[in-house]
Amino acid sequence: MKVNVDLRLKDIPGQLVGALEPISANDGNIRGVVHHHDDRVGGRIAVNVTFEVRSEHALNKILEVWRKREVDVAKIDSFFETFPIQYLIVGSIPTKELESITKALESMENVAFIEVRYTGSANSSSRAALVTGKASKKETIASLDQFFKQRSEKHDYILIRGLD
Amino acid sequence: MKVVIAGFGTVGQGIAEVIGMRQELFSKSFGQQVKIVGAFDSSTIVKNARGLDPVELVRRKASTGTVGTRKVDGGVKELIEEYDFDTLIETTPTNILDAEPGYTHIMAALGSGKNVITSNKGPLALRFRELSKAAARNKVQLRYEASVGGAMPVINLSRELLRGEEIFSLRGILNGTCNFILNRMKDEGLPFEQALREAQEMGIAERDPSYDIDGVDSACKLAILANAIFGKDVTYNDVIRTGIRNITEDAIALAGEQNKVIRLIGEINKDRLEVSPRMVPNGHPLAIGGTLNIVQLLTDLAGEVTVVGRGAGRMETASAILSDLLAILSEDRAKGR
Ligand SMILES: NC(=O)c1ccc[n+]([C@@H]2O[C@H](COP(=O)([O-])OP(=O)(O)OC[C@H]3O[C@@H](n4cnc5c(N)ncnc54)[C@H](OP(=O)(O)O)[C@@H]3O)[C@@H](O)[C@H]2O)c1
Repeated sequence: MKVNVDLRLKDIPGQLVGALEPISANDGNIRGVVHHHDDRVGGRIAVNVTFEVRSEHALNKILEVWRKREVDVAKIDSFFETFPIQYLIVGSIPTKELESITKALESMENVAFIEVRYTGSANSSSRAALVTGKASKKETIASLDQFFKQRSEKHDYILIRGLD
Repeated sequence: MKVVIAGFGTVGQGIAEVIGMRQELFSKSFGQQVKIVGAFDSSTIVKNARGLDPVELVRRKASTGTVGTRKVDGGVKELIEEYDFDTLIETTPTNILDAEPGYTHIMAALGSGKNVITSNKGPLALRFRELSKAAARNKVQLRYEASVGGAMPVINLSRELLRGEEIFSLRGILNGTCNFILNRMKDEGLPFEQALREAQEMGIAERDPSYDIDGVDSACKLAILANAIFGKDVTYNDVIRTGIRNITEDAIALAGEQNKVIRLIGEINKDRLEVSPRMVPNGHPLAIGGTLNIVQLLTDLAGEVTVVGRGAGRMETASAILSDLLAILSEDRAKGR
C-alpha cells in the first residue's frame, strides 16, 4: 500500500528522524521526503512523505507512534497500487457474450472494478466493446490477457489490448 | 571496394545514386572509391570491372526498363560466386514464402567470401540463423539495417551503440501504411476501406495491401529484430499476428473516448513476440501519426530509448544501406584490409 502524508514537525533537531524512524521500524519503504521550509504553520515545518507499507495494520502502528511523538498528521492519502484493465473487442459479439464476460470478470479475484461500454447493435458484425477497470495485482492482468485471448479466439473477434 | 547490386528497383537505384553522391566521403575517410562493378534486375545484367556510372545505370533503367543489355540466363549464382567483388547489395523483392531469390543470392555471396548488405526481409525473417552462421563461417559481414524501418537506425543502434546494455523489451510501429490508415480513420472518422483507398491513391499502400494491413510486413521486421537484437532464433511464422483489417470506426471512437488511439504495435519481450493492434494513450510516443516508424527499447542502464524515422522510401532506405557500407569499410580498415 502506498501512503502519502503531510506532516507538521516541531522546528527542533531530531524531529525528522523521529518521524521517519517508525516507517522503517514497521518494514515500510520510504520513497520520497519533501521539506517545505517556507511553509510554517504555528511554528511547525511542513514535510511531505511518501512511503509503502505492507498492510493497514502496519500503517496504524506508524500513526500511533506519530501520535505519541506529537508529530501532527495534517493530511493522509493511502492507496493501493492498481493496474489498469483495458481491452477493446471488435466483431460479432452478442449481448449475451458481453454479459458473460462481465460476470466472469466480476467474479475474478483482485479485479477492483470494471466497466463495459459498447456500440453497435447486437446483430451487427462489427460491434465494439470496451472493457476498462482496475486490478490490484499485476498477475491479474496476465490472467485477464489469457482470458480475453482465449475468448476472442473461440468467438472469433478482434482483441485490442491496452499498452501497459 | 567493389560492389554488385542485386535487384535494381526503388532501393537498388537509390543506393546506386547514393554511392555516386558519396565518393568524396569514401575517399576522404577510407582512401578508396566504392565502385559498382555489376548490377542485375529480373531479366538483365551489366558488368564492368573498372566500375559503372550510377547515373547512367539509373537513366537506362528508367528509359528502357532494364538495367543491363545482356540477358540474365540463370547464371546469377555463378556470377556472384565467381565475379571479383567485395560486397553484394541485395535488394530483390521480399518473398515470405521461400525467401527467394534473395536467399540464394545472399548464400552464394557469403559462401564465396563476400560481405552482404540487404534490405530484403524474406531471407532474414525466414532463415536468419543459417545466414548469420554462413557469414561467421566465411569471416564476412552480413548487414541489414535497411530491412527494418528504412532510415530508422534501430539495428545498428542496438547492436553497436547500446552494446553494453541489457535490452529487456522492444515495442514499436514498424509499418507506415497501417499507421497512416489508422490515423486517417481517427482524424477524419473514415471507415477502414475508405482510409485504405486514400492511402492507395497517395501511393502509400500497394494495390494488394494485404502484406501491410494483415501485419505481415511488421511481423517480418519483428522477427528480424528478435533475432538481431535479442539473440532469438525465430522466423516470421513464430510471430503472433493480428492485422488492422477489422478495426472499425466504432472501435476507434470508443478508444478515443478514453483518450487513446489504436496503433499496430510490434512487441518483443521475454514472453511475447507479437504484432497486434493496441490502445495507446494520446501523447505517448507510440501514438505518433503519419507514416513514420518508431521503436522504443527498454534497457537496464539507459532506460527507455526511442528512435523515430522514415520507414520507407528510395533515399531513406539507401541511407540505411550506406550506413552498413560505411560500417564494412570501417571494419576492413580496422583489420588492415
Ligand atoms: N522501397 C522501400 O522503401 C523499402 C524499404 C525497406 C526495405 N525494402 C525492401 O527492399 C527490397 C527492394 O525493394 P524495392 O522497393 O526496391 O522493390 P522493387 O522496386 O520492386 O525492386 C525490386 C528489384 O528486384 C528485381 N528482381 C526481381 N526478381 C529478381 C530476380 N529473380 N533476380 C534479380 N532481380 C530481381 C526487380 O527486377 P525488375 O526491375 O526487372 O522487375 C527490381 O529491379 C524489398 O525486399 C523490400 O521489401 C524496401
